[in-house]
Parts: sequence; structure tokens; C-alpha cells
Amino acid sequence: MTTLEVRGVQKHYGETQALRGLALTARAGEVLGIAGPNGAGKSTLVRILGGEEHPDAGEILLDGAPWSVADRRGSVATVHQEPQLFPNLTVTENLLLKRGSGGPLRPRATGRERQVLSELNLQRVADRPLESCSLVVWQLTEIARALLRDARLFLFDEPNSALTDEESEQLFGHILRIKEQPNRIVILVSHRLHELVRYCDRIAVVREGECGVILTGSTLTEQGLARELVVGQGAAASVTGTAGAAGRSAVDDVLLKLAGWTHRQRRFRDVGVELRQGEILIVMGVEGSGARELLQSIAGLEPAHGIREVAGRRNADAIGALLAYVPADRRTGLFPNFSIAANLTARLGIPAVASRWGRLLTGRLYALGRRLITQFQIKARSPRQPVGALSGGNQQKVAVGSASAKQPRLLVIEEPTRGVDLGTKAEIYHQLRQFAHEGNAVLAYCTEVPEVFDLAQRVRVMSRGHLSEPFEVATAGSVQDLAAQLAKMTEGGPAASRA
Amino acid sequence: MLSVLGGIFLRRLSGLIAAIVVTMIVFTSINAFFLTPINLIGLVRSMSTFTIVAFGETLVLVSGELDLSVGATYGIAAMSFGLLWMHGTPLAVALVAGLLVGVLIGVINAWITTVIRVPSFITTLGMLSLVQGVSFLISNSQSINPPSKLAGYPVFEALGSLELPFGIPIQIAWLAVVAAIIAFLLHGTLFGFRLAAIGGNLQAARVAALPIRRYKFWVFAIAGACAALAGILDFSFIGSTTPNAGANLTFPVFAAVIIGGASLSGGRGTVLGTLIGAFFLSLLSNGLSLLGVGTFAQLIFVGLVTIGAVALDRWTTAWGGQTQSLQL
Repeated sequence: MTTLEVRGVQKHYGETQALRGLALTARAGEVLGIAGPNGAGKSTLVRILGGEEHPDAGEILLDGAPWSVADRRGSVATVHQEPQLFPNLTVTENLLLKRGSGGPLRPRATGRERQVLSELNLQRVADRPLESCSLVVWQLTEIARALLRDARLFLFDEPNSALTDEESEQLFGHILRIKEQPNRIVILVSHRLHELVRYCDRIAVVREGECGVILTGSTLTEQGLARELVVGQGAAASVTGTAGAAGRSAVDDVLLKLAGWTHRQRRFRDVGVELRQGEILIVMGVEGSGARELLQSIAGLEPAHGIREVAGRRNADAIGALLAYVPADRRTGLFPNFSIAANLTARLGIPAVASRWGRLLTGRLYALGRRLITQFQIKARSPRQPVGALSGGNQQKVAVGSASAKQPRLLVIEEPTRGVDLGTKAEIYHQLRQFAHEGNAVLAYCTEVPEVFDLAQRVRVMSRGHLSEPFEVATAGSVQDLAAQLAKMTEGGPAASRA
Repeated sequence: MLSVLGGIFLRRLSGLIAAIVVTMIVFTSINAFFLTPINLIGLVRSMSTFTIVAFGETLVLVSGELDLSVGATYGIAAMSFGLLWMHGTPLAVALVAGLLVGVLIGVINAWITTVIRVPSFITTLGMLSLVQGVSFLISNSQSINPPSKLAGYPVFEALGSLELPFGIPIQIAWLAVVAAIIAFLLHGTLFGFRLAAIGGNLQAARVAALPIRRYKFWVFAIAGACAALAGILDFSFIGSTTPNAGANLTFPVFAAVIIGGASLSGGRGTVLGTLIGAFFLSLLSNGLSLLGVGTFAQLIFVGLVTIGAVALDRWTTAWGGQTQSLQL
């Protein structure tokens, strides 16, 4: 039976020690889960296993023999949110692009490719260009490519964080099928505890660059895992049970008003919203429901018409100054060529970081950057560090921090805690509540029910372009209650529930 | 100012300076005339105009765009300036008109790029040919060689032939002034800060509601003005111009900017880097011509060095890991 052994792997970036002698073993026939807080070294481990980076020390063995970087590049399949494929080619053509395929002629699909396509239920879309397919098709195509080149290790790195429930089910079905094959090793890296517990046979908890503990058998429960993850992270205790704590005594001051708000391509129609000071409203909805477009249109990034008022103002420039938007994807929200401090202050202008005549005041810029780093508890060596050197969770804090640095009245935020660990989640929730409590308002788009339960006062569900009536989160006794309510609010099925 | 510039820049800069020192030692050991003040001053004078164009181009590159039309802008500005003056327009008016031609071309570039959304590579490639055509049109395809001597006109002296103390030609002063202005714009103002943001990640700049379109108008206009100024300075110095003047500028301008560390994908670039890149480039050309190796060898060598500088940078970045700090 195939085994993968990671022995004493170390990796440092500058002064940051990302991995400190990490060791673990994975066997064919099981799904090994990897969990851990942000910055624990999960991404580094994934990159090293995939052959994208060299470890400083330690070794990686396959069936007891050293497994070289060059070999790993060929036979490790990494499946994540951003598959590295060719969008302009069809699904089948993507499978045919491989090294050493014979002949100068345009390659054609053979029986082997057709078989893999049908195993993954891809026949229906086989001849469509990938760019017109949904994300799950991309990921299945990535899997198909890996199966065709007989990959030994399948690394699933947060594969479903942008998928709907049905798509996730589909993907995990295929993951479990890969596990059945005798010589393939499957590793799943995820932040979603229930999925880890449900699909993994063992879970390794990575902490500060080492493998902290391995959960298996009876210790493999959601609670047990949650406990392991928050070891040494005091903030996480507040994650549960503080729903609706923010700004109960708020003045009745409407900060966002939408009426007859309709997307140009009809992704949503005739939306009416009133959001008051101190409030946190969450809009839920599956991918394609129009919820994301609603938030982006409020920020002026999607075309829509109707009435849009922010703190009583309708003028686009005035609205631009009063609201700040945080996108779901950190790569569209951050400036990779900038330091942490420059990212945090990039939305500011005169007088915060520049004189009346537009001279940049770098002293102020760094002072502000330092203050925000402390306020948002960003783990950084220095405000001058490039933002790309931070872990995903800390990058998310930078994204939220840069939006709130502008001191808007309304924060519009998509998936505030996407790909973020429990401790960071708690910190971001705290920041958002604090922000609302200071007389502002938050409008968020979320996909997870526990997040709604923890964060929002009211929730509305978008389905097929229609926004439901608001639901008071405090009237739900538990996350399960809330999930049931939300399922009822969704037109045409329980798509939005993910308790 | 340097405190806000990070490691990549300093590493590139120190590498360049080391290369310059080595080159100087080699050339001096072969030909002692190389390291004389006369030669070096002449060298800096000769690089001054294309370097002024390169400063404008640096801004364009930092904003994430490209301007291939600067050479043609240089030519048409010199031509309009010369023609206007020969037809009796007061020199000061001709000077302003010449500069405005450059600004106008820049504004048109910016409008096509940001409003019609034609990629700037295509916009300015077309503009390069278009402007050259207009140069031929307005000059009747003739070079202009003013019959009267330029000497005796204080404006021409100030633009081209005046000599400052220590035998320093006026062009070097112009170079310094433009360098200081662009350096301040790029590294000392909110404008430059946001420009690097826009070039670094356009989507994030949109999310942050930065004034992308307005800034790009400014950038193209400044690049046009720099190119026009360079054309006018050269006309004032040489005393004549041809309809296709500036056609050979594209290579040295881009080579200087890129050797100086600016990124073609935007968000990265410095005035000091461009200045030193231009100096290095001129040093090589000058040294090689002193050796008398012939034009073909010069062209081959300078081409190799341009590619080599970027290749070397890639190589050192790959070995340095991901932790170097970037601009700001």
C-alpha cells in the first residue's frame, strides 16, 4: 500500500519560520485532513508537497524512497479554488494538453480520456470552452487531468470554498472515489470543520509549523477539532453566542436605502433595503442568485438603476466617500506591490496621508499603518513587510482594515471570513460589531449559517434575483433553527442552508 | 525618499552601480580618454533628452500602461516648434505650442485607452504611426534647417547652447529639473502613491474607488509633455530637425526604464533607477564607440545587456525568495 511520509520539513521566509520540522504520514485508502489556524504553515506545506517550493531541510518519501521535487511536480495534483487550466480550450482539450503526447497533429480524445470524462460525469460539458463552465467543472477537469497522468497524491486545498452545496457534494463524492483506488493518496486541507470530520479518516492539526496532534477514531469530532484549533488562541471563545449584540440602542438613522434597485442584466430586480445605524444585515444566497452583484452594485462596481441613498446622499461621489467595499477575493482587494502599511492606507488621501498640496506624508502613513496593525491584530514583523508575505487570514484582516481606515459610514463586505480560521473569524466579527456599534452599518454577503448566527441582527435571502423579507436572527434559538428558517425563506429549495 | 523604497529597488540599484563601476574600469584601462570630465560631460549631455522622455515613460509604466508613441511625439513637437518659429511666431508662443502638441497627443492616448478601452499598447502603436505621418504632412516631408543662426536668441540659448559654470551644458540642468519634478511626483506625492496602486492591481484600485481615469489622463499628458520638451531641447541644440526625428528613441527609452527596474506589468518603477539605467546604457554606447568597434557591435551588445539586466534580476529574485520588500 502506498504511503507518503513527510519528515522534519523546515521552511523559512526571511525571519518567519513557516515550518519547523513538520512530520506526518499519509496512506492510500484514507483521506488525511489537515487543519490549522492561519499562518500555521498549511499553505507552505501544500506548496512544498506540490513541488512548487523547496524545503530548507527534511525529506519527503514515497513508499520509503525519497520523492524528488521534479517527480512530485509530475505526480502531485493540487486542486484548489483557482485551478491552473486553459479557459479558452474545451474541457476535453484541456485533458489532451500534456507533456510528451505523440505526433505533430492536433490531439484527439481516446478511449482513456472518454472513460475519465464519464467517470467524473463531464461528458455533457466535454466540448464546452472551460471559461463558460462553472468552477466545479474546472476542478473536476483538474482532477481528470491528474487521473490521466496517474498522479499519486491528490491535494485538495480548500477546494469547495466557492462552491454551492450541491457542487460540494458532487466534488466530495469524487474525492471519496479517488480514495478507493489502491495507489492514490488523498489529502484535504480545509477550514470547514464539519466537512473535515465528515470526509476524513484522520485529521492532522498543524500549529506553528509543526504537526500538533492527529485526531482519529473517537477523537475525530467537530468539538474536539475546534478545541485543538483554538489552543493558544484566547479570542476564539467569543465565536459563539453573541448574536445581535451590536448597537441595540441605535438611533433610527437610515444609512442605506435602496428602492426599485434593479441590475442592468436583471441579476436582481426591484430590491428594497433599509439599513439603519448600528445594524449588521447579512444577505445570503447561492452562487448566481444575484446576491454578490447586489453588493457590488451598491459599491458602484456593477451597473444597476433605481434609488440608492447612502446616509441620505444620492450623488455617486458622495456615496463613494461614505461607503467602503471589501471584495470576497483578497487578490482583487490588495495591492501586491505594496507593503502592509501602504495597503492599509491605500484608500486614504488628503489630509490623512498627504498634505493640502498632495505631498505624501510617509511618517503619517506608517504611523497609521502601525496603529491599524495593532487594532486589527495583524501578525506582521513590520509595517514595511510586503503584504504577500502574510498568511491568508492576516491578509483578510488587512483587507478589512484598509476599508475601515477610510472611516466609512457603511461597510459593504463580501464573505468577511472566507478561508479564515476560527480565531481570526472571532477577531473580524468583533471588528465588524465594533464598527456598527460606533454608529455605522454593515451589509455583508455570507454563505455560512453559523456566520449569520454569530454576526447579524437581520438576514435576508436572495434567490433568483428576489430578496426575501428580513428575518430577525435573535428569534432563532440555535444555528439549526436559523438554518431551517433560511431554508424556508429560499425560493425553490433549501439551497442556502449550510449549517 | 529612499526610506520608502524597498529592497528590490536597492538591490537592482546596487547591481547597476556595480555594473557601471566595472564597465568604467574596463573602458578606462583600454582608453584613458574615457574617464575624462570632457567625455563624461558630453556623455551625460547626449543622454539628457532621451532620459527626459524615459522619465515620462516611467510614470506610464508605473500606472500599468505603455506609451510607444513618445518617439513620434518628440519628432512632431520639434517640427511644430521649428516651423512655427520660422513662420514668424514669437519664440515663447512656439515653445508653448510645441509642448501643448505633446500634451494633446497624450490626452488623446489617454482618452482612447481609458474611455474607448483600447489597450494602450495598440492605441500608442497606432498613434506612433499616425503622428509620424502628420509630421511628414506638416513639414512637406522636408527637413528644416533654419537659415538664420539660432545663436543670439536667448530662448534658444536657454534651451540648448548655454554653458553653465564648470563647463556644464544647459541640457544637464534641464535633465536635473525634470528628474526632480518627476521624482517628486512619483515618490513624494499622493498622486505617485495612488499611481503605483493603480498599476499594481487595477481591480483593487477600482474597489478602493481611486480616480483611475483622471490619473491616467495626467500620466499620458505628462509623458507627452516630457517627449515634446525633449524634442524642443534637441532642436534648440542641433538647430535642425527631420520629419522622422525620434524614430530611434523607442529602444533607448524603454531600455533605460526597464534596466532601471520598472515593471512592464505596472506598479513598480523609480526615477533614480531610470536615470541610472539611462546612464549605464549611454556609458556602454560611448565606451564602445571610443573603442571603435563599429555600430553593429554596439547594437548587439546593448541589446544583450538590456535582456541580461532583466534576466539577472529574475535570477536573483528567484534565489532571494519571496521576502524582499517592495515599493512602499
